[in-house]
Amino acid sequence: MENVETKLREEAKKLLAEKKADIIVGYEKGTLPLLAPPCFITDPEDAEKLVWNAFCVQNLAKFVHDLLSQHRESQKRLKPADRTKKTVGVVARGCTTRSLVIHLQEKQYNRDDIVILGVPCTGYVDRKKMDALIAGEEILEASVAGDSVLVKTAAGERKIPLKEALADNCLACRFNNPLISDLMTGDHAPAMDVTQEYARVDEFEKLSPDERWNYFTREMDKCVRCYACRNACPSCYCKVCFVEQSQPRWVGIGEDRSDTQVFQLMRLFHMAGRCVDCGSCIAVCPMGVDLRRFLKKLDKDALELFEHRAGISPDEPAMLGAFKESDKEDFIFTPK
Amino acid sequence: MEKRLLKKDKLAGIIKNISREMLVYAPVKEEDNVLFMALKEGREPLLDFSNSRNAPKTFFFPRTEIMMKYTRTGKGMELSTGEVEVREAVLFGVRPCDARSFALLDMLFEQDKYKDPYYIARREKTTVISMACVHPPYSTCFCTSVDGSPTSGEGADILLMDIGDNYLVEFITSRGEKLLKYFGDLPKAGEAEETLKKEIAERAEKEIKSHIPAKDIKPILDNNFEHPFWETIHRKCLACGTCTYLCPTCHCFDISDEAKGSDGIRIRNWDSCMYPLFTLETSGHNPRTTQKERWRQRVMHKFKYYVDNFGAISCVGCGRCVMYCPVNLDIRKIVEDIAKL
Ligand code: SF4
Ligand code: SF4
Ligand code: SF4
Ligand code: SF4
Repeated sequence: MENVETKLREEAKKLLAEKKADIIVGYEKGTLPLLAPPCFITDPEDAEKLVWNAFCVQNLAKFVHDLLSQHRESQKRLKPADRTKKTVGVVARGCTTRSLVIHLQEKQYNRDDIVILGVPCTGYVDRKKMDALIAGEEILEASVAGDSVLVKTAAGERKIPLKEALADNCLACRFNNPLISDLMTGDHAPAMDVTQEYARVDEFEKLSPDERWNYFTREMDKCVRCYACRNACPSCYCKVCFVEQSQPRWVGIGEDRSDTQVFQLMRLFHMAGRCVDCGSCIAVCPMGVDLRRFLKKLDKDALELFEHRAGISPDEPAMLGAFKESDKEDFIFTPK
Repeated sequence: MEKRLLKKDKLAGIIKNISREMLVYAPVKEEDNVLFMALKEGREPLLDFSNSRNAPKTFFFPRTEIMMKYTRTGKGMELSTGEVEVREAVLFGVRPCDARSFALLDMLFEQDKYKDPYYIARREKTTVISMACVHPPYSTCFCTSVDGSPTSGEGADILLMDIGDNYLVEFITSRGEKLLKYFGDLPKAGEAEETLKKEIAERAEKEIKSHIPAKDIKPILDNNFEHPFWETIHRKCLACGTCTYLCPTCHCFDISDEAKGSDGIRIRNWDSCMYPLFTLETSGHNPRTTQKERWRQRVMHKFKYYVDNFGAISCVGCGRCVMYCPVNLDIRKIVEDIAKL
């Protein structure tokens, strides 16, 4: 990983110095252990801050979309002659590149508006799993060495197998290497084990509709509707989300559970064929809502009904934006 | 002020006894979290815990509360108050920082000019029992930087301090003294315990690892409403409001009507300066257009406006926003950076 990090800093510095990118979105060292939050670099000298390790969690494509759409908005107020182009560089692992592909499929920006610094990925550490493994003690320091995470707490040092600490979506990741990139900063990472990709969905499908509904309502009752999941998700980029519209107002702002369910159902269905399983929404959820099970169900449906995997080819149209003769339609008449 | 000594193994029983006659809110273990919740059969109060994830302000200022109800009838609107009966309650196991947040919230909700009847009714009926931090529970605690201390009794009615075999129990207010009867006939604390308390307090303060120049930034904020620095902090913010919802001192609210058919309720909800709906006006205009202005509001409100209005920083240093922000937007670092401007 260290080599990747060095290369990453060099390339980022060059891109900024040569003005091939105006800003680079990457990860930096956090102020707390286990965290490598997103950072935004414009000064070539600051490229030194970039890190790449198993604590880099967020899907940065979200910020690429933010920056480019804000820029486009700001340009609208200028005369055509005064308008400028903005190029955003982004540190991208497999799932991040898939989100970039989705943006391109959905014509959110052009390929030459972005520069992709591809990084090989072996998965990221799930903070909630770590907290559970450490059982309530405060983690004072953490680092990854080989295939273990070393943590220091007041009680001493502990070694945790990386496998136990990786996020579920990473463990079953099908595309951990960048699918598109302008610069690769390291060799391809070994493939992950995809055999269990839909295990929890298969289990879920066996339940009766009542049991499934109960599971859904139980999970959604935890949700406090902070919308962090939506805001972290690169595929959730509507300018104004329906939950924030006030004329008319679709959902109330109180604690009514049906309002929460409406929000969740709407968001989940908007993810059909658009979720890359990056886990960002789950990582930021303060309440530990099991969103992944529902997202994976939709992902499986997209695959089975429309032979579609989210964001794997920029030349393919978006799933819901295209019609194929092979598209299944019997589920419309005889839903399972 | 009464100061008594309580054998440590007696405390759990006393809390249970109180909970038979009054509502008791205490930290309990819920799934993976420690949360303040009402005690009931089968819910054990935690005596040895770091701090709760949610701030106890919610018992005085709930996330949603009904202010009034209305029904449209043939003869016009019929209105009724939404008031629910407020019961005598005890809030047990509050950390000194959170107890101090009550003193800060009082300044706002119970000022000369405006009195908030909802908040005041609950506050007056609730006795706060604090638990001093003999060892500060987190490396992110910074209470001492914002005029607090790990062993302070500010905002509490009763303060407990673990001094070895006993708790030193200080009945700080007359409301606290009313609970004396539940504690039974306890021996009075003497000189020796006083000295011990002082030693423990000094040591606990020394154990605080995080220090920030919170009190130095006011003059800088006074003069820098416009500054390029404000462009730099918000970009990674997800506007989730976790920081403000978990914050013991954040208190912004929004009032809204929710109607079904002819019936409606007027509710007051927590708001958050982190949300795009914050200060959105009916016209569709919002004076705070982006997360930049919202983040500036958060910093200004805590470290400048509250100081201007009430003479106190609106942060108690509990560190919740630091620990739980999903993108590690650390207010301690922001304060440090502002101090360097
Ligand atoms: S729904 Fe969640 S897992 Fe799927 S793309 Fe969005 S953030 Fe990633
Ligand atoms: S992040 Fe979690 S709590 Fe927040 S809205 Fe999403 S599911 Fe609900
Ligand atoms: S918790 Fe962090 S990401 Fe969420 S609103 Fe606060 S600063 Fe922004
Ligand atoms: S901030 Fe101070 S009072 Fe609060 S938990 Fe930490 S040490 Fe205790």
